[in-house]
Amino acid sequence: MTSLTIAAHSSNRPAARPGRGVALRRTIRSEFTKIRSVRSPYWTLFVLVLASVAWCVAYCLGTVHSWPTMSAPDRASFDGAQDSVLGLALLGQLVIVVLGALMITSEYSTGMIRTSLTVMPRRGTLYAAKAAVFAAVSLVVSFATSFGSYFLGRTLLSSTHVSMSLSQPGVLRSVVVAALYVEVCGLFAVGVGALVRSTAGALTLAFAFLMLLPQLLRALPDFLHHALMRWVPGGDALNVMTSTKGGPMQYMFSAWGELAVFAGYAAILLVLGAVQFSRRDA
Amino acid sequence: MIEARGLVKRYGATAAVNDLSFTIRPGLVTGFLGPNGAGKTTTMRLILGLDYPSAGTVTVNGKPYAQLPDPMHQVGALLDAGAVHGGRTARSHLLALAQTNGISRRRVDEVLGLVGLTDVAGKRTKGFSLGMRQRLGIAAALLGDPQILMFDEPVNGLDPEGILWIRNLMKSLAAEGRTVLVSSHLMSEMEYTADHLLVIGRGRLIADSSMAEFIARGSGQGVLVRTPQPDALSRVVAARGGTFSPADGGEFEIHGLTEEHVSDLAFAHGIRLYQLVATRVSLEHAFMELTADSVEYRAEPAGDPS
Repeated sequence: MTSLTIAAHSSNRPAARPGRGVALRRTIRSEFTKIRSVRSPYWTLFVLVLASVAWCVAYCLGTVHSWPTMSAPDRASFDGAQDSVLGLALLGQLVIVVLGALMITSEYSTGMIRTSLTVMPRRGTLYAAKAAVFAAVSLVVSFATSFGSYFLGRTLLSSTHVSMSLSQPGVLRSVVVAALYVEVCGLFAVGVGALVRSTAGALTLAFAFLMLLPQLLRALPDFLHHALMRWVPGGDALNVMTSTKGGPMQYMFSAWGELAVFAGYAAILLVLGAVQFSRRDA
Repeated sequence: MIEARGLVKRYGATAAVNDLSFTIRPGLVTGFLGPNGAGKTTTMRLILGLDYPSAGTVTVNGKPYAQLPDPMHQVGALLDAGAVHGGRTARSHLLALAQTNGISRRRVDEVLGLVGLTDVAGKRTKGFSLGMRQRLGIAAALLGDPQILMFDEPVNGLDPEGILWIRNLMKSLAAEGRTVLVSSHLMSEMEYTADHLLVIGRGRLIADSSMAEFIARGSGQGVLVRTPQPDALSRVVAARGGTFSPADGGEFEIHGLTEEHVSDLAFAHGIRLYQLVATRVSLEHAFMELTADSVEYRAEPAGDPS
């Protein structure tokens, strides 16, 4: 090789200096390129869809099978919409936290973060772009899964003539809240990822919050347990968020109220993550 | 133009960079030299805003790096060729970087060609050899066609062909009038590329001078002789103000006189010389002398009886 010509032949110099908005838009495009050019998001989201659908099929077919022998009160209390989307909330939350955490931690584990911050040194912009791309991708997938599961469940349960149309009170809410809950869990994990930076650490924390904490609370005396239940994840919160029957449970907020609680946690973690992402050495 | 003023980076009690001030002038290849652990990488991370200084400031073209609009058009940096996600193809990796600064897809393909990675552009980078990763990192640095380039130990671990390629690349970059800051712990590497030297040891600046000045600061020229009459030669050399000292392999080293001078003296006094060689003090030697006190980890001589 005798000589190299390094200069750009194609004109790529922007005419004007980009403002914050331009930088954010470009970084979002970059983050979208990143997420679609590695395999793990596809696998993770595939597992999310598979787990949710499998749950829906298993519960609905089980109900169809036992329907002829079910008592009238059991039939009356059967919640077809809830059984269709509960799998997404219950299993999907565990899968989405993996994707959310990896959004940040995979950059640290591979060292890619140093390259990313060299080309986009405005840390707040990079963090916001990451969160936005994750939010958009996971929102599409969780809503598609939620509605898909609902329609699948309705088809499977058609022989039982259970009424679960979207115009029924609470049905649409149940389908929407299940999807949003998964979304919120994912954003929570993005924040945890930015806070601790290691995949193992982030997943341990996220799983401890989603699974261990509600179990530990059961060991508390009843009055304490009841006072705290509405503030913690676990079965009761998921039940309230996805149920279409009856009013709110005695010790819990409404479906939207419970969702707001978790959105609050996610917001706190996202902010803490942002502070760490911006202030600590990369 | 990169300017550091009183730059300090402490990790707990140890200062990796200690009160460092320097100016990297445009249009030159500046060699950034120091033993392992001297603080070269830390300094580069501080320049790029990856780490925050404990004290002091560093600016690129008059601004802190993080405030540069579209930094890729001003600075291209390769700190660690391994800092990529191995699951991504070379082209996707570069595209993601390019998009943050509004750089076109065409330029991505252009730089892939420039570094010779066009054939493997669609391959995941985890299968890349170190040399290929290094090329990918250089492609990323060149994306924005920047005036300033920074390379941290670019030839580390490369095979001879890769080393030659990097050297040629740096010469080309310099020939185009770009500012290049290249770090190394190998003085010999600098002899081929650098115009100016910045030497640090234990986080402190030891030397900031042109290559020529740096060499001159060493012990200077010497003459190496082999003679059967060392005592006689020693006397006449001393009489003319030179120093005479034994060197390895039965040879003697003379300082303060040129080789012509030594030859004339020997002839005039009838002293036989079997060998007469002028030695230029190598850059390596000058570097070792200068940093002898600042090597962080030093091996004890082998077989120490204690």
